[in-house]
Amino acid sequence: MKQFFTVLKFELGNYFKNKSFLITTLVIAVIAVAAVAIPPMIPGLLSTDTVEQILVDGIDEESRIGIVDPDDVIGSKLAAYTGLTDTWVLYEDAEKMREDVQSETLDGAFLIQSPTEYTYIVQNNSLHDVKSMALDQVMELNFQQTYLTEKGLTAEEIQSLMQTEIISHTEILGKDSSQSYWYTYILIFALYFLILLYGQMIAVSVTTEKSNRAIEILVTSVNPNSLIVGKVVAGAASGIIQMGVILGAAFGSYAIFRESWGNALDFLFHVPTHVWAVYIVFGILGYLLYAFLFGMLGALVSKTEDISKSSSLVVILYMVSFFIAMFGMGSSDSLLMKAASFVPFTSTNAMLCRVTMGTVALWEILLSAGLLVVSCILVGLLAAKMFRFGTLMYGNPIKFTTALQKIRSEGKTESK
Amino acid sequence: MKLELKNIRKTFGEKEVLHGISFSVESGKALGLLGRNGAGKTTTIRIIMDVFKANSGTITLDGRPFIPREHQIGYLPEERGLYPKKKVGEQLIYLAMLRGMDQKSAKANAKKWLERLEVDEYFDRKLETLSKGNQQKVQLAQTLICDPDLVILDEPFSGLDPVNSQILKDVIQEVIQQGKMVIFSSHQMGYVEEFCEDIVIIHHGEVVLGGQLSEIKKEKSNGRMRISCIGLTPTELANRLSKELPGLVSVEKVQRNQVVVCIRKGAGTNEVLKSLLDLGLELELFGRYEPSLNDIFVESAGDEG
Repeated sequence: MKQFFTVLKFELGNYFKNKSFLITTLVIAVIAVAAVAIPPMIPGLLSTDTVEQILVDGIDEESRIGIVDPDDVIGSKLAAYTGLTDTWVLYEDAEKMREDVQSETLDGAFLIQSPTEYTYIVQNNSLHDVKSMALDQVMELNFQQTYLTEKGLTAEEIQSLMQTEIISHTEILGKDSSQSYWYTYILIFALYFLILLYGQMIAVSVTTEKSNRAIEILVTSVNPNSLIVGKVVAGAASGIIQMGVILGAAFGSYAIFRESWGNALDFLFHVPTHVWAVYIVFGILGYLLYAFLFGMLGALVSKTEDISKSSSLVVILYMVSFFIAMFGMGSSDSLLMKAASFVPFTSTNAMLCRVTMGTVALWEILLSAGLLVVSCILVGLLAAKMFRFGTLMYGNPIKFTTALQKIRSEGKTESK
Repeated sequence: MKLELKNIRKTFGEKEVLHGISFSVESGKALGLLGRNGAGKTTTIRIIMDVFKANSGTITLDGRPFIPREHQIGYLPEERGLYPKKKVGEQLIYLAMLRGMDQKSAKANAKKWLERLEVDEYFDRKLETLSKGNQQKVQLAQTLICDPDLVILDEPFSGLDPVNSQILKDVIQEVIQQGKMVIFSSHQMGYVEEFCEDIVIIHHGEVVLGGQLSEIKKEKSNGRMRISCIGLTPTELANRLSKELPGLVSVEKVQRNQVVVCIRKGAGTNEVLKSLLDLGLELELFGRYEPSLNDIFVESAGDEG
């Protein structure tokens, strides 16, 4: 145990004495604080009027639209329709109008063929072009009004009919996904970066001793279990501390400035305590599990440059877990999500989604956490065995299956 | 203290690489562990340090089973390795602490050994910024930092210049005089002869020769004489001896400045000397032949040997 703490202290020192580690943590934390703290300090920036004005200006760019309407389906009534802020130019000749579109005198043009049919003429059709959609609405409304007028309804009756407002109420008995979606997304994403970035670093730290041959001395001085567990835990701890500082800075500063924001960022930052509890427990366990997997990979290669090649399998495994959670966020009570929330390699993300957006019983959380703890211990032990086996084996990366077979056969020999 | 290996066997997969290695090393003495590349020296060393488990055989210290973790072992591996990006002092303290020292004594010992090896100015420097020779000295400091009872040195002199070699020689002599058990593995036979009272030669996983070096030399020299004459080249002398004294001596080898002969059974040294004088040869050298360790090694570990 003493050796474990010596290794842990030394390895933690490797991270915390690393300038780039400190600077990165500090810079990201400062940016997070600034992003939350500065906007409320700028007068008027968060007022809703300004926001709306920006939106209207952005969308409503005035265009010149030509129209040929031989039967006067809507031509003479265009001005009556609100929402059509474009300048409408009436043409007699469709060919002339086409030429004007071509020469870009007009931004677009409509050829009205009947009350229910028209052709939209445009030089270059853009993905974001909504002109024809606007005309669709106008023509539809016009058609309905004409029809209803013919049936004897007055203009007022039609207007009140058209403007009937439906009042809706939502009574949420379970979770409100619209509230929890974004912070769940952020928490899962944070874990994603943590595992993939630190996983590689942990694998490298395990391989380092083999690649610089310090292992020759280490194996004679320290128990391999203490060594690998110390290294993995140190890597994991520094990752957790780094993420804790960054998330703490962002969430802490929002707690201070929440009122100034008028609770506008609650969907991002207002995470309930029970979600934090689940996130911290499952996050740390899941992270440790992957840290041990990466540590195991590190034990099987002897050159740091071989790590990226060997680690793809673990990376893919985590990506699967990540995408199950991402796609499952919309249906957190689906069978897939339920199953995934018990499989140790996917349970961290899946259980978080279920807790924030679905219905989950306490026993399910406890069982899943228990399974995760057991898996962490088993993978940790296996990683230590692999490390012991892979020690002093230099050269090509050892195949996982070969290592497993050797460990089993050695186990048999030792037990004889 | 006496560390004794008895009949150590080790198998990797299907292949047995050590076929019953036995030798012993005592306090205040150095044992030369010799053998060609791949002979099984490093495997034997690793078994002593419990990195590998032997399939059979025993290792005892003063008759009791030897448990490496209960003793301080200083090991200088042939594959040198420390942390290039870490400060010299920091990693020495770390390695000493892993072997059970507290931080304060680890630091004091690190300073002491770096000073003794004349590299104390690099205590706060990263290892990679040191020259190869100085890195080697840091390695040696690492080996001795815990005041080990057993010191295992694998090719300690490789890569050292003559001045640094002298410092290292002095340190090794000191360690031996302090009563440590030293196992010295090297291909540089000159150094082995200088330090080691006892040697063991391993060949293809077997001990082919072992014991006190002076005794081995005496045994190997038994009945062998070296002769040189004024006015005759060694080859000419060898030819005359073969022709004129075939009943007394047989020529073993012709060297650059002498001929080595083996006195035939029944003949005596005086008889040979008299016959040589009777032949009218003007003797320059007539003495007992003592083979060098190099000769002994080649004879024992050469494939034809």
